[in-house]
Amino acid sequence: MKKKLLSVLLCMAMTATLFAGCGQNGGADANADANVSADANTNEDAAGGNETTGYKFEIVSKGFQHQYWQAVLKGSQNKAAELGAKINFVGPDSESDIAGQVQMLQSAINAQPDAIGLAALDTKACLDAIVTAQEAGIPIVGFDSGVPGAPEGAIVANAATDNYAAGVLAAEETYKLIEAKLAAGVRIGVMGQDATAESIINRGLGFIDKMAELVTAKGLTVTVEGNDKYVADCAVTPVDGADVVIEVLVPSEVKNELSITDGSTLLNKADTICIYGSNQFSAENLVSADENIGRLGVDVVGVGFDSGATLKAAVASGKLAGAITQAPVAMGEKLVELLYTATTGGSVADVDTGCQWYTADNMNNEEIAQNLYD
Amino acid sequence: MADNKKKSNALTNNALVKKIGGQQLVVILVMIALFIFFCVASESFGQYSTIVSIMDFSYYVTFIAIGVTFALMTGGNDLSIGTGMVCYSLIGGFLISKLGLPVGVGMIVTILCGMLMGTLNGFLVAVLELPPFIATLCTMMIVRGLGSIITGGVSLSWPAADAANGWFRSFFKMTVGNTKVPVGVVWIILAVIIMSIILTKTKPGRYIIAIGSNKEAARLSGVNVIKWHMLAYIICGFFTGLAGIAYAGTFQTLTPGTGAGLELDAICAAIIGGTSMYGGQGTIVGTLIGVFLMCILKTGLPYIGLQANWQQIIIGMVLILAVLMDVLRTKKRA
Repeated sequence: MKKKLLSVLLCMAMTATLFAGCGQNGGADANADANVSADANTNEDAAGGNETTGYKFEIVSKGFQHQYWQAVLKGSQNKAAELGAKINFVGPDSESDIAGQVQMLQSAINAQPDAIGLAALDTKACLDAIVTAQEAGIPIVGFDSGVPGAPEGAIVANAATDNYAAGVLAAEETYKLIEAKLAAGVRIGVMGQDATAESIINRGLGFIDKMAELVTAKGLTVTVEGNDKYVADCAVTPVDGADVVIEVLVPSEVKNELSITDGSTLLNKADTICIYGSNQFSAENLVSADENIGRLGVDVVGVGFDSGATLKAAVASGKLAGAITQAPVAMGEKLVELLYTATTGGSVADVDTGCQWYTADNMNNEEIAQNLYD
Repeated sequence: MADNKKKSNALTNNALVKKIGGQQLVVILVMIALFIFFCVASESFGQYSTIVSIMDFSYYVTFIAIGVTFALMTGGNDLSIGTGMVCYSLIGGFLISKLGLPVGVGMIVTILCGMLMGTLNGFLVAVLELPPFIATLCTMMIVRGLGSIITGGVSLSWPAADAANGWFRSFFKMTVGNTKVPVGVVWIILAVIIMSIILTKTKPGRYIIAIGSNKEAARLSGVNVIKWHMLAYIICGFFTGLAGIAYAGTFQTLTPGTGAGLELDAICAAIIGGTSMYGGQGTIVGTLIGVFLMCILKTGLPYIGLQANWQQIIIGMVLILAVLMDVLRTKKRA
């Protein structure tokens, strides 16, 4: 009996600790996924300015783990403070937690904000919630990769990187670096974090389609192999015995060692001339994979996406020839601006927050450096 | 039926099989066969760099697998090791990269965090008699959240290999000339030898096995079951801390909220290596063999062009086989 009582007490104490942790930021209800980490996943920010307009915005992001999202958060906090609005910025534990994000979106709607910002991991999964918001008259503004394929009129505007265009830019810049090496019997590697997130898929597809177009224009035949989703969705028709093979690898789970194995697999193929890692995770693991092999910057051109300390160092040292960076701070600012305008009845339109190609030569220019984060 | 029995007797009577253990022998053979298969199927697999990669990925799994073998041996389990490993590593990394403390301090704190959580697990299981599955499921969630809270939800890195205080990475991989030497293997072998001796030749180890075989009998024969039961979880926590260091030393970035699922890799490896889910049986060497089978599978499958979903199916099937062997063996014993 004593023992039972003790265990019940302990369980209660543990539960109390959890809620105490969540309570600090007052965001426990917004994080239905794993309330133990609600503290970290919720960033409620009151207006920093003296006067508040009383507007309240819920922002549902894709998570916080990548520093990229911290930069978006910073931008939105700055703008909210400037406009005197209140924002509640949440995101799931990982970028593959689609169900978790849907729950967060639902909670955001229940909180009855003036407007909602949404970077959907998977539009289809969010559809029900989007319709609910529409019925409740809460405008939704998309950001990051936006909410592609959402029903007409549900998303009033997007503050997003055009990820397909970003992939195209990566292909164009990469092509300049590998053009001399392009010949029959070479391989171009693409590493994707997953085959579910629209932004990741589009960056891959933009790269594949543009690269195939450029290679074909040079008079070579090209094929795509590897991950089924990418092979099916790209504009290239697979053929046997093509001159140039674009190989797309996606790990079975978002785990470092699986992604590093993908990188090693590509680096170990003698005919590989370049590898593109389409987000911070993939690009970092490409760099890790090369630690044991040492071909990047020697006879394989490495291209990354986003930044972070490891990637910045790899670009600076020439291991990666270059990378694409988005403009996360500007994105956060534009998002809150759109939310504000949509709420106050102004007219809003899509904003492409843009992307840039950076290399060891230009990464210290102010225009680029402001978008690179550690 | 009788034929089968005769066959299995013939197999178990073989001296070599007896010495190494039937299941381990099968696993070793499978491992060798797999390695050869991958080498033949993909010419780029059999390279030195691939072997270094397999080693890289094996360090942290080996540590948590050795740890969880002790928990499994008591008939329990520890689900907190995957997220725990990342959490302790984040705490250590936070001290180093954000507070500027020496790397050595970060490493010690990482191990201490592991032992602390191991003690809590042991307390919940041995003293409060919560079912190990539930108790460690709870601590798994706790450590997952804890890592996020401490780092503010942001991913972080331990110092890079070429940074001034990146010396700890050379514990696992050293560069000699242009060649990478996977020196972490030395620690793995050392850990396996020491823990094998502790498990089979010392009092604590024997008591832990006894608790797993029959806790009541152990208690009645005067063994302080609570103490030794807790010790098994503390050992598990200690190795989770070590794994945290190995994980930080192998990968560039630690991401809060991750690590879930890694505990299953370790538990799978232990079971493939012949540790019984029912407790009281298993060896550290077996666990090591299980780890390497898993690592070779995971590394090799992408090389032969098998896509992500197929990899999971194959690993799942290997596990079914391993658990089946455990079930059959337990039935035979009964």
